[in-house]
Amino acid sequence: MSAVWKAARAAVRRRRLQTLVIWLVTLVSTGSMVVALGLVDAASAPFDRVFGKQHGPHVVAEFDAGKVTDAQLRDTARTSGVEAVAGPFPQATVEIPRGAQDLGLGGDIRVVGRSGPGGSVDRVHLWAGRWPTRPGEMVMNRQSDWTANALGKKFHMPSGPTLTIVGFAFDLSDTADVWVAPDQIAALHPNATQMLYRFRDASSQNALRAGLAGVTEGLPRGALAGSRTYLSIKHQVGSAARAYAPYLLAFGVLGILVAVLIVANVVGGAVVSGFRHIGILKALGFSPGQVLSVYLVMISVPAVVGCALGTLTGNLLAHPFFRFVFTGPDSGVLRDSVGIAPRVNALALIGMPLVCVLAALGPSVRARRLSAARAISAGSAPRAGRALGIQRRLAGLRLPRSVSLGAGLPFARPARSALTLAAVVLGVTTVTFASGLATTMTLFGDGGKGAYDVTVYADNYVKGKVVLPVHGDRDLQSLLGSLPGAARVTARADEDAQFVGSTKRVWIEGRRGADLPLDDVLVRGRWMHRPGEVVVGSAFLRRNGVDIGDHLRLRRSGREEEVTVVGEILQDNDQVVTGTWPTFTALLPDGKAFSYHVKLRKGADPTAYARAARAVDKGLSTQLTGPNSGAETIIGSATALTLMLALVSSLGVFNTAVLNTHDRRRDLGMLKSIGMTPRQVTVMTVTSMAVLGAIGSVLGIPLGIAAYEVVVPRMAAGVDLTLPSYMTDVWHAPKLAALALAGLVIAVLGALVPARRAARLTVAEVLHSE
Amino acid sequence: MVTEVRTGDTVVRLDGVRKEYGETVALDGVSLEIRAGEAVAVMGPSGCGKSTLLSMIAGLDRPSAGTVVVHGEKVGELSEKGLALYRRRRIGMIFQFFNLIDDLSALDNVALAAQLTGTAARQARRRALELFEELGIADRRNAYPAVLSGGERQRVAVARALMNRPALLLADEPTGALDSRAGEQVMDLLLDLNQIGQTLIIVTHDEHLAQRCASRLVQLADGRVTGEHTLEPSA
Ligand SMILES: Nc1ncnc2c1ncn2[C@@H]1O[C@H](COP(=O)(O)OP(=O)(O)O)[C@@H](O)[C@H]1O
Ligand SMILES: [Mg+2]
Repeated sequence: MSAVWKAARAAVRRRRLQTLVIWLVTLVSTGSMVVALGLVDAASAPFDRVFGKQHGPHVVAEFDAGKVTDAQLRDTARTSGVEAVAGPFPQATVEIPRGAQDLGLGGDIRVVGRSGPGGSVDRVHLWAGRWPTRPGEMVMNRQSDWTANALGKKFHMPSGPTLTIVGFAFDLSDTADVWVAPDQIAALHPNATQMLYRFRDASSQNALRAGLAGVTEGLPRGALAGSRTYLSIKHQVGSAARAYAPYLLAFGVLGILVAVLIVANVVGGAVVSGFRHIGILKALGFSPGQVLSVYLVMISVPAVVGCALGTLTGNLLAHPFFRFVFTGPDSGVLRDSVGIAPRVNALALIGMPLVCVLAALGPSVRARRLSAARAISAGSAPRAGRALGIQRRLAGLRLPRSVSLGAGLPFARPARSALTLAAVVLGVTTVTFASGLATTMTLFGDGGKGAYDVTVYADNYVKGKVVLPVHGDRDLQSLLGSLPGAARVTARADEDAQFVGSTKRVWIEGRRGADLPLDDVLVRGRWMHRPGEVVVGSAFLRRNGVDIGDHLRLRRSGREEEVTVVGEILQDNDQVVTGTWPTFTALLPDGKAFSYHVKLRKGADPTAYARAARAVDKGLSTQLTGPNSGAETIIGSATALTLMLALVSSLGVFNTAVLNTHDRRRDLGMLKSIGMTPRQVTVMTVTSMAVLGAIGSVLGIPLGIAAYEVVVPRMAAGVDLTLPSYMTDVWHAPKLAALALAGLVIAVLGALVPARRAARLTVAEVLHSE
Repeated sequence: MVTEVRTGDTVVRLDGVRKEYGETVALDGVSLEIRAGEAVAVMGPSGCGKSTLLSMIAGLDRPSAGTVVVHGEKVGELSEKGLALYRRRRIGMIFQFFNLIDDLSALDNVALAAQLTGTAARQARRRALELFEELGIADRRNAYPAVLSGGERQRVAVARALMNRPALLLADEPTGALDSRAGEQVMDLLLDLNQIGQTLIIVTHDEHLAQRCASRLVQLADGRVTGEHTLEPSA
């Protein structure tokens, strides 16, 4: 064994650059693989993870308290198929004061009386304060990325009692807006009873329906007032993640492929280029097994070190990266659940070295069988016919000889060139895909950008108390319009309404002012002009089976109005119906704007304007328009991943260039001896890689475009968006040319260092050592 | 086909040339003068510095001390590019193991030498073919090195060395890898070249061959010149 060790050490010392490349490639590719796998992991199952942790209910059922007793409901726990039950919990629907609305609540809230956050079903995550124990206390349902500064706030319920917020809890299953102690609930006049069920078979909507049918079998008719399965919530919660998932998945898969291919390429190449050396070892009396060991040791040591450090680097990078990726407004659930899973690390730590060893094993076994004489002469074996034909044709071309000679080199070693080509193709595919995606996301992010600079809200908090404006709605709009710097002010209001003929709730939004589109982007149709005309999001159209030109009836507080859909906008909310101000007031005659969107004149300072606006009325608060964090997230992560993969691909190409120049040392020495200048050597070596770069671009660009065409529409559809064609029309000649150049650049950069090394070779030394 | 240099002019002058590779002293103060039209045989035991001496003259490496002057040019002081151009214009080199490029046909291997200087492919091939005819290997022009015999390979290598009409033809054990018949043929070829004026430096082990074709014998041992004598060419 010590002879093996010695020979391996000597071999590593003689191939410092190659060892460094193996080490670097395994490091970078393992690192990016860890990040990619982590992303895939995080994006694919955020709901399941949190839902599992909370033991969420498969069905949330609401029973009519007048028709069924608590004892009867308790008995349903014994129904076959039921795994666990929580409840009965009394539930009330309570109107809340206006000041509570900006805690993210609607006009009416569901209040449930419950004695604690735990239990066998629906373990609510109490992340601030405590659970209510006495009358007069409540806990609000909120994601933990909100701040808890409303703790201690008091609300006078229009129906009588005063409730103080004593805690915040997050319930993914959304079984209540507010929880109170069981002692409190009677004062709120509960009219329903909540039961939370977990079933043994919760695999499908049908299985859940069957389970619920079993539960209600022994109960009086009409006892079940309503029910909701976890599948619908899963769909809702997942939509943010679903927007990222296809693209992260594409990137992840691409990253893993690139990593594995490059590692295989680098390691396999190292063995192939060592054939001569293997012959010498054999001639020295090394047994085939010992030769195999020398090569495995020589390659595994740097590879394993690289994989270990790469895993570490990946973990270190992943945290800031995920923080950065999951900053969108809907990513609260994701943010709480992401991290590198142990199995990802295990996979990287075991999988990547395995790939290395397997990649080394193939050629090593071949080398093991090779006779010493054949191995030594491996460098001068007759070449394949096609390669020779190509060289002959190239030799006759009117190109500088160093260029035509270089162009023929890749054909002399087709197997290695194919692996390098694969690396370049994947790199170009990635860069193409990512740049298309980034363009779309930039256009998406820019959609409506600059529509307004400052948003002024018609309410304010002062020391935990709500302050409302003293001025009237229309006065405020004209006051804000008269402040220095203001160009135009558009008012906006929304209220919930009923969709006639369906139990669905909608939000009717009214806009008043010079800029009705605000930051929305029209996909099809036109904007609303006349009273009764509305625009809706793609999701609304799809969910409700509505199309442009259809009429809808909306109801609110006893009034009913018909509206006509005239346009589709880029909007993933499936509940919003947007019209002009008269459309809004037809349903809500006293409706008031809750925000004013102010576009400033060129050069006006938004901060100064916001200050002036707050000075107009103590009841106003302001917000400056920030960048679109969602789009920025995707662009940022796409760029980071693209760079990482481009780096890995470049290293792969670099390695091929190193190995090729090493294999060709004798030829290079000879070429220099007959007068090839260092420059010609560089040109030749770079050309040989540039050829692969060019072929890689020709193959990689269409692949990247195809990936884009597959992933991007699905990604948009995942969040119920239809992208207007101008956002997906991203392939233009200059860009394609730039992408083609990217392939060349990857290849040329990869070749430059070894090319210059080759150019500096001292002929006498090369010829002496051969 | 040979550069016009008047017979008798000094072509190569080595002055106290020393070459070290780490601890090893390959050449230890070699001074030598070679005139145009001479055929010099360099002899000596393995490892005594013969190849190193040729490398110094061919500009394949630089001396650690001393000067190498070829045609009035100080070889050691040339830039990398200057060295390349020097090798291209002045030197033709033949190696023991031929050093042909496996992916190129015999003809393209030879044409390559001219193409590197910018000569068009067609012209380079034409000149190469002339040489093939003169060297009696025209029928092998489209063969690849792997299928050529050792003697044929060495003739291709000679053709390549002559391609740019070098002032100096350097041969490092040109017959070392050949059987005796092929070796004799290659030696005859070199002798013929010398007789039409080609200056020649041959490193060889074979005293008999040296006697036959060299006009002068230089003995090397441990990196030093230990003997030098003029021979009467037998042919
Ligand atoms: N490039 C080199 N690197 C290290 N040592 C060398 C190199 N070239 C020659 N030597 C050493 O210099 C000495 C002379 O070598 P060389 O000129 O090749 O001898 P010869 O051709 O007479 O057999 C030897 O000891 C050899 O090992
Ligand atoms: Mg020698």
